[in-house]
Amino acid sequence: MADKVRLGLIQLCGCSGCHISLLDLHEQLLDVLPNLEIVYAPIIADAKEIPECDVFLIEGGARNEHDEHLIHEIREKSKVVIAWGTCAVYGGIPGLGNLYDTEQLKKTAYETESTDNIGELPSDEIVPPLTNSVMPVPSIVDVEYVIPGCPPRPEINAGAIVALLEGRDPELPKKIVCDECPRTKENVIPETFKRTFEGTPDPEKCLFEQGYTCVGMGTRAGCGALCPSAGVPCRGCYGKTDEVLDQGSSLANTFAAAGDEALKISDKSALFNRFTLPAALISKKQE
Amino acid sequence: MGKITIAPLTRLEGHGKVTIKLDDSGKPADVKLHITALRGFEQFVIGRPAEEVPRIVPRICGICQTAHHLASVKAVDAAWGAQIPSAAEKQRELMHLGNMIHSHALHFYYLAAPDFVLGPDADPAIRNVIGVIDAAPEVAKKAIAMRRVGQSMVEATGGKPIHPVTGIPGGLSKSMSEEKRDELLAVIDTMIQYGQDGLDLMKSLNEKYLDTINSLGVIDTWYLGLVKDGKHNFYGDTLRFVSPDGSEKMEFKPAEYLDYLGEHVVEHSYVKYPYNKKVGYPEGLYRVGPLAMINVCDSMSTPLAEEARKEFAETFGRPANQSIAYNQARLIELLSACERAKELLEDPEIVSTDVKAEVEPKAGNGVGVVYAPRGTLFHNYETDDNGIVTKANMIVATTHNVPTMEKAIQQAAEVLFKDN
Repeated sequence: MADKVRLGLIQLCGCSGCHISLLDLHEQLLDVLPNLEIVYAPIIADAKEIPECDVFLIEGGARNEHDEHLIHEIREKSKVVIAWGTCAVYGGIPGLGNLYDTEQLKKTAYETESTDNIGELPSDEIVPPLTNSVMPVPSIVDVEYVIPGCPPRPEINAGAIVALLEGRDPELPKKIVCDECPRTKENVIPETFKRTFEGTPDPEKCLFEQGYTCVGMGTRAGCGALCPSAGVPCRGCYGKTDEVLDQGSSLANTFAAAGDEALKISDKSALFNRFTLPAALISKKQE
Repeated sequence: MGKITIAPLTRLEGHGKVTIKLDDSGKPADVKLHITALRGFEQFVIGRPAEEVPRIVPRICGICQTAHHLASVKAVDAAWGAQIPSAAEKQRELMHLGNMIHSHALHFYYLAAPDFVLGPDADPAIRNVIGVIDAAPEVAKKAIAMRRVGQSMVEATGGKPIHPVTGIPGGLSKSMSEEKRDELLAVIDTMIQYGQDGLDLMKSLNEKYLDTINSLGVIDTWYLGLVKDGKHNFYGDTLRFVSPDGSEKMEFKPAEYLDYLGEHVVEHSYVKYPYNKKVGYPEGLYRVGPLAMINVCDSMSTPLAEEARKEFAETFGRPANQSIAYNQARLIELLSACERAKELLEDPEIVSTDVKAEVEPKAGNGVGVVYAPRGTLFHNYETDDNGIVTKANMIVATTHNVPTMEKAIQQAAEVLFKDN
C-alpha cells in the first residue's frame, strides 16, 4: 500500500473538536479513508510511538512542555505539518488563559470551594510543567499549511485532504463571514451596543447594524455564517483573513466608527481576540 | 522494583498515562493514572460577561460540547433567576439528546468496539475504527448513521453540530424549524431500530467475553447519576448517590452540590479527585457515566430501554460493579436517547417560537447540571451586578471517574499479572 498517504493526527491543547469534525464527514469517510494509512492517532488508534509520516495534522497549541516537545518531534518526522483548527493556528479559546499568569490559573483551579486540601498542587516532577503561555503551533515550528476554524467544517477538512492527495496546495476561503451571512446590510453604524440576551434581534437584518457585537467583518469565512444565522453574533472563531495583520486591531478599527459607545463594551480584549489572543499583536496581559 | 508506563493512553478524548510500579515478586504494587493537561477554564471565564461563557466552555470537550453549553447556560439562568419557556426547555433537551446519541455511538462503535469486534488480541495497527469498517461494514454503517443523526439534531437546535451557540440566558436565540423537525422524525424510528441492533450485538459479544467482563476492572464504588422523579433522565433535576452495595441512597439538587461533593488535590495528576463528601475521602470515591446512571435510577423513562435495563440487572446484578459493563449500559442509554428524542419530536412545542424570556443581568450564584455522555457535569458561576462572572467552579464528567478508573486499572493489573 505504498501509494497511501501516511497520516498522523494528534490533539494537544485543544478539545478534540477538530477530530470530531473530521468524523463528521460521516458516510464520506468511507471514500476518504481508503486513501489514507493512519499511522498515529491517539484518539482512535493504539500506536504509542510517532513514526515517519507524510502528513501530520496537529490539533491544539502548546500549553505545557510535553506539548512543545511533541510538536518538535512531529516536525522532525513529518514531510508536511498542518496546524489544524484555530487552537493550533492562533491558540484558540485556551489562549484566553494568557490574560492571567500561569500561577494564577493553577491557584484558581486548585482552590475552588469544593477543594478540601487547599495549598497542595500537582507535582511538576510528575505531570508536565505548564508553559508560561499558550503557544500556537506556527510560533514553535514552521508549518506547511494552516487550517483555522473552531472546528474547521468537515468539507474544509475533506477539501484539504483531497488537495494533498492530488498534490495540490489546500486553499482557504479568502472572504469574511459577512460575505456568507444571509442577513441584509444597510451600511449603518450602530448608535449603541447591546448584549446578546437583550431584546429580540430582527431575523433578517445585520446583527452588527442592530447593535449586537458581531465580529464577522474581521473574521475569515468558511463556517457558512452559522452563528449569525442562528441569531447570535459571530465570535471570530476562524481568525483573521490574509488581508490584515491582526484580527483584534482590524475589529477595533471597525467598532471605533461607533465612537465612545464602542468604549463602553465590556471585555473588549476577549471579544476582539476571543480565539486569537496568543497570536495577536498584543498577546499577553502586561503585569 | 520494576515500573511499567503506558503512554499515551489511546482511544479517549483527553490526555493520560498510566504508571504501574511492580514489587520484587513482579506484582503491581501501585498504579497511578496521570491526567497530564490543564487549561485553566475556571480562571479565564472570570471577567467575561456571563452570557458569553456558554460560548466559551464548550471548548472544554469537543465530543460533549453540547453538555457544557447547556450546563453553562443553565448556571447563568440560575444565577440571574431566569424562568425559561417550556418550549425552550424541550428544544434544549433535544439538543442534549442529539449530543448523547452522537457521543454514545462514537464511544461504543469507534472507541470501544474494536476490542470486541476484532478481539483484544488483534494487531494494534488494525484494532481501531477503520479495522471495524473492514471487518464489519454493516456495524460501521449503522454507527456512522447514528452519529450523523445525532449531530444533525444538535445542529437543528443548537445552530452548529460542534460547539452549539443558541443557548442564551432566558432560553434560546432561535427555535427549530418544522423542516428540520420533519427530517429528524423521518429517520428516528430507524435510529431506535439501530439502537436495538447495537444491544443485540453487545449481548452476542457478552457470550464470548462474559468471563472477562466479570473479572477485569471489577470494583466496589459509590455511584452518582441524574434522575427525575426517580427515573433515568439525561436532562434531569436531581442528583442521586447509591452506595456500593445498593443499600443507601442520597438525593440532592444541583444548588446543594457543595454539601455533597468534595475534591482532593493529588500530586500525580492535574485532575482533582472528587468524592462523596458525606462519606469522606477516599472511602467516598464514586463512579459516574452510563453504568452509574443505570445503577442509580429506579427505572428507565422509555419502554424499550427499560426492558434492556431489566435484562442488564439480571446479567450483572444491581448495582453492577463491572467496569466493562459500561459498554452495555451505554447502549441502553443510546436506545433510550433515541426513544426520548422521538417523544420530543412528536411534541408540537418542539417547533414553537416562544423560546426566549426577557432576563436582566444581576449579582447571583447559579449551578447548572446535566448528564454529559461520560457523566454528571457541574458548572457553577458567581456574577456581579452587571452579570460579569466573578468566580467559577466546574466539575466535569470524566473528572469524577478518574480516581475510580485508577482503582479499576489497579484491579485489572492484579488479575492480569497473576495469570501471567
